[in-house]
This record gives sequence, structure tokens and C-alpha cells, in this order.
Amino acid sequence: MGIVSSIGENISSFCNALMKGESGIRLSTSQKEPKISVNIAAELQNFSFLELLNRFQDVPEEKLVNAKRLGRRAPFAIQASIISALEAWQHAQLFQSKLQSERIGLIVAGQNSTQNFQYDLIQKFRENPEYLSPRYALEFLETNQVGVLSELFGINGEGLVVGGASATGNVGIIKGYQLVHSGFADVCVVVGTIADLSPMDIQGFINIGAMGGKKYINQPEKACRPFDKQHEGFIYGQASACIILESLASASKREAPFLAEIKGGSINLDGNSSSDPNKNGEVKAMLSALNQAGLSASEVDYLNTHGSSSALGDKTEADAICDVFGGHTAALRLNATKGLTGHCLYSAGLVEAIATVIQMRQGFLHPNKNLEEPICNDLKFCGAEAINHRIDIAMSNSFGFGGINTSIVLKRD
Amino acid sequence: MATEQVYEVVKNVIMEVLPDLNPEMISIEKNLKELGANSIDRMEVVTISMEELGIKLPLMSFAQVSNIEGLVKVLSENVGKVELK
Repeated sequence: MGIVSSIGENISSFCNALMKGESGIRLSTSQKEPKISVNIAAELQNFSFLELLNRFQDVPEEKLVNAKRLGRRAPFAIQASIISALEAWQHAQLFQSKLQSERIGLIVAGQNSTQNFQYDLIQKFRENPEYLSPRYALEFLETNQVGVLSELFGINGEGLVVGGASATGNVGIIKGYQLVHSGFADVCVVVGTIADLSPMDIQGFINIGAMGGKKYINQPEKACRPFDKQHEGFIYGQASACIILESLASASKREAPFLAEIKGGSINLDGNSSSDPNKNGEVKAMLSALNQAGLSASEVDYLNTHGSSSALGDKTEADAICDVFGGHTAALRLNATKGLTGHCLYSAGLVEAIATVIQMRQGFLHPNKNLEEPICNDLKFCGAEAINHRIDIAMSNSFGFGGINTSIVLKRD
Repeated sequence: MATEQVYEVVKNVIMEVLPDLNPEMISIEKNLKELGANSIDRMEVVTISMEELGIKLPLMSFAQVSNIEGLVKVLSENVGKVELK
């Protein structure tokens, strides 16, 4: 696993931040024009690609040189993906492996990751179109991520980009799982791209009524409140996160460390082009993931909710969870990672899968700092402090605009 | 603008596009490929050089260029045809 986020620039610091319940949500440092009314976000402030690259130890020098070459002048979204993928690749001990490159797949979970990059170029382009960098033709394509990462790691199996709005990360995990499970790859790298939103994208989310940050405009750390009565919309977050999926046979053969097992993952559509959530679709996603895993709802110890801090979204998910877990809700523990990281959009599913695996392995639940008045008293959310909790089976939900419902089930190894 | 000045501009652009290159490796008779520039790096050197010099030429104008000297020559011939920035 690898991550670069507002609350941690690697897995170890991300883990510490989860334990302490640190929030990355603060006033935005963006100086862009025009100014947008919501100025709160969990950004990667002071991100320095070269500095983060230089912190890597025990990565072959040649790989670091290539990473520098590929990333130094690349868009922010590419730089962040290189950092998270390098950490994941290193953790999985793939620098030392002799795997066949054709048996390694690559899934980039991301869409529209160059929006802000393009926004910044528009003014200059309008004045002098001739001076547009020839590199732009590569860089505005989402598949540039596939090209850069496959060149860096020498990946020659299947490679593609997947999108699913706010569920993009889970869609990537599920497609990667299917690739490995069906035998088309031994290893699959799944990278969630950072959402580098332009001011226009942020205004769009405000105008559609999805974004919060108004009531707590002077208290940014209180603005993201999943499942709290004062929730009023999502708070934008930035992160790139990467996991490596590998078949049991391949990992056992090379004696690679196993963190957790994906037991099932489900995607379904509401058949709805709008932004509104649908309880039935969410219930179906959770039940289908459990069914694939061969588990009953009562065997789940922990649920990492989609919990975006949206009033209708939180209510719909809480109702769906009550439907699925019924009498088991008294034993099921829940939290919402977006309360700390903001909503990382395309990478959210990966950020939350990583948060889930960390909590499973360390035996704790991260706090929900702003959950002061829960909208639903039947669900057992972690409170303002982290608690110890043994997790053997976990579920993680992600739901996206366009009626995209996803759920994955994980088992501690 | 003197050819030497255009060459200086081009050298700086090459260093911007290929930051790991030792500046002493650059000499006017060399071509960009042997300095480690791939096809996109080479097009970028041309585009940024034109921007620095305030020149707008179709990329076809550089089709016959085979080394840095040729590039500097085409650029020098066209500098000043439009006002410098």
C-alpha cells in the first residue's frame, strides 16, 4: 500500500494520523481566480515531488532517476500517483521480484484528473496557441497515468483507466480483483489519482448543492461531519493512494507479505443519471459483496462508510446499512474516513480501503471527531476518540453520481 | 538578434527540458537526440525556444533541421520578424 494525503505523506504517517484523529481539512491556500465561496479543503499543501522522492530509501537508484525524469515536469496528478505507487511497489517487495512483466496489470482509478492543469493553461493558450507544449497531447489524456506508471515499473500486462465518480477507487479495486481472480494477471497495481479540481469544478459542486463548508466557514476542522445532524455536504480532499493486489499462489511463491484478502466486491447501477443516492442500490451492493464473500452480515465487524457528510447521502446510507445488517447493528462498528481526509473523490475508495486495512491490522477504529449528534442512534459509530476494536471482516462502501453503487469486503490476513 | 544570443536561449531551453544533462555536453554541432532528447523533448525544445524568442513558425519549418546549429539558424533568421516580447 502507498499513499500521499493531507494527513500523511506515506502509510506510516497516515496510520498515525488515523489513530490520533488528525484532520487535514483547513482553509485552502489556492490563489486562483475567480475566488470561490467555499474556501475549505483537505489539500496536499506544500507538496514537493522531488522532496518526497528523495525520502525513499532502499529503492533502486535507477528507478528513482526514472521517476524523477518522468515526474519532474509532469502535472501534479501524475506526480502524486508516482509517489503513492512507488511506496506500494516497495512495500510489496516488487523491486526484488522476478515476476514476468506480462503477468502484471495496472489499473488507474481516476477520471478528469487534469482539469486544473488545463484550467491553468487556458489563458496562455487563448493568447498564443502556437506555444502550447507538444507534451500536452499526452498529458491531457487520463491514460498518461497508465503510460507513465507502466514505463516506471516495467508493467506489460493489461492496463487501463476506470472511472466511477466518487466510487472510482472501489471500481478500480474491484476490476483489479477480477483481473487477478480470473487469472489474467498475477499482480495488479491499482492507483487512485488525486482529484486536482479547478475553481470551475468546485463551483459546479457548490451549484449542484453537493459541497459543504458554509456553516463552518470560520472553523474548517468542523466542516466535514459525516452522519452528524449539522452535515451539509462534502468537503473536498486530495490524495493519491495505491494498493497492490496479488494472487495467493504468486504471493506465496515469492514469500511476499500479505496484509488482507479481498473476499468480494460488487458494482451496480441505479439507472439514474442524476446525483441522488438510492437506498435499494446501496443495499444490493452490500448484499452482493457479502454473497460473493460467502459471508453473512453478522460476520462483519467493521464498516468503513461512504459517509461523505452529505445530508441525503448519509441518511440514505444509514438506512441502507440498517436494512442490510438488521439485528447485527449493535455489534457492527462504523466510522467515516472522509471526516479526516475530506472527500478524495476518485481515490476515496482506495484511501478508505487502506484506512480499513490499517485499522484491521492495528486493531483500532479511528475517531469521528465531528459526530456530535448522530442522525441515527441505531448505528455504532466510533466517537471523538480512537478505540481498540478487533476486526476480522470489514466492508467499505463507495457511492458515486450517476447511480454508481459499490461495496467491497475485506478479511484480515 | 545575433546567432550567439539565439544559441544561448536554445541552450537554456535544452537544460529546462533535459534537467539532468550536464551543460558542458551541449555543443552546437550536436543533435538533440544524442543529448538524450526523445521526439517529444525535441518538439518541446522547438516550441519553448520559439516562445522565448517571440517567433511563430509552423513546425514544418524545422523539418530539414538535423542539429542544434540548424535549429539556431532557422530561429535566428526569423527573430525580429515579429516583435520580441
